[in-house]
Amino acid sequence: MGSAASHSARLPPPPPPPAFDAATPPKPQEEAGKPAAEEKVDYMNLPCPVPYEEVQREAFMSLKAEVFEGMRLDYTKMLNQSFGLTHSVSMGAVEIPAQGSDVIKIPHGTYEFGANFLDPKLVLIGRLSQDGRVNARVKCDLTENLALKINAQMTSEPGYSQGMFNFDYKGKDYRSQFQVGNNEFYGANYIQSVTKHLSLGTEAFWVGQQRKSGVGLVARYDTKNFVATGQIATTGMVALSYVQKVSDKVSLASDFMYNQMSKDVTATFGYDYMLRQCRLRGKLDTNGVVSALLEERLAPGVTLLLSAEIDHWKKDYKFGYGVGIGE
Amino acid sequence: MASRPSLKPKPKGGKKSSSAADEESTSATAVRLVKEWTTWTMKTTKVVAHYGFIPLIIVVGMNSEPKPTIAQLLSPF
Repeated sequence: MGSAASHSARLPPPPPPPAFDAATPPKPQEEAGKPAAEEKVDYMNLPCPVPYEEVQREAFMSLKAEVFEGMRLDYTKMLNQSFGLTHSVSMGAVEIPAQGSDVIKIPHGTYEFGANFLDPKLVLIGRLSQDGRVNARVKCDLTENLALKINAQMTSEPGYSQGMFNFDYKGKDYRSQFQVGNNEFYGANYIQSVTKHLSLGTEAFWVGQQRKSGVGLVARYDTKNFVATGQIATTGMVALSYVQKVSDKVSLASDFMYNQMSKDVTATFGYDYMLRQCRLRGKLDTNGVVSALLEERLAPGVTLLLSAEIDHWKKDYKFGYGVGIGE
Repeated sequence: MASRPSLKPKPKGGKKSSSAADEESTSATAVRLVKEWTTWTMKTTKVVAHYGFIPLIIVVGMNSEPKPTIAQLLSPF
């Protein structure tokens, strides 16, 4: 939140509207009428903000790359423009949480069959793994502004399935979302564009079975060259991130996370090179973790994946390689 | 023995309480039935979704334009 406040103080030509709160855009006529040094900002035509869960999207793209261990093979077959099947084989190791600083790994092989249907109005993604777990995602545009998203993991064992229904409403310069999940989870969030670059949002959730609830606030300031976000919640979590787009091909990101309940502090620095034939992402952590992921397009339809993660603190080394076939 | 005055209020009281208990139990049974039905619905929905989601995607995809053929669905190329 500190970074967001300092950025908003540096807003150039239009004077920031006096005494506004995050929920209501300021009065149009006075602001649009005032001639500005660079451009007029019409506060009634602000762009729609990014969805609440994607507020830290740029930081996650660079910093939360999916490193893996072992061998991975992904085959995608598109039957027509919108329908495709995927087969994914992975042979690697799974970590078992153990007392002490030892890391125990068990070899684990999986096969996953997937079907995707992508339509402008309806997206259906299903994944079935060899142990009977089905992972289902549905996104349906009920009307132009209202969308329904369903995300579910279903297992053969009773009681381990999870599901979440999200209703998203997109307004002119705001978005709101209502979530219902199993274990009596209810959540709602709302994000509003306050100026051309700044958007503020808030969320609240309630878990019925554990009688827990929380409230959170988020702020995002994005320009052509950088994106800064700040997030704070009553669960004791503070997360700040900053992503700078150095050029079309390079972007650098940094992230700071503080969890007050577990007194966990982590800072991460990462880079993302998007080149013509490959994409290289790497990051360095204050937990002593260095990781990198390379995706290289060897030929149209063939992708090579190389992944490495070295945890110097726990002496845990993970290296993986994989091939992806298909678009 | 046949009809003790002291017994009369009791059956009435007993009847009242039992009828009140009956009324309570009808609403309680209604609530219980609703709960059982919703639990049954949730369980069935979960089983249907578990087994039927992937076939649903395949059916929807096979009926989209341009229609792929079964051979294209099953062949590895």
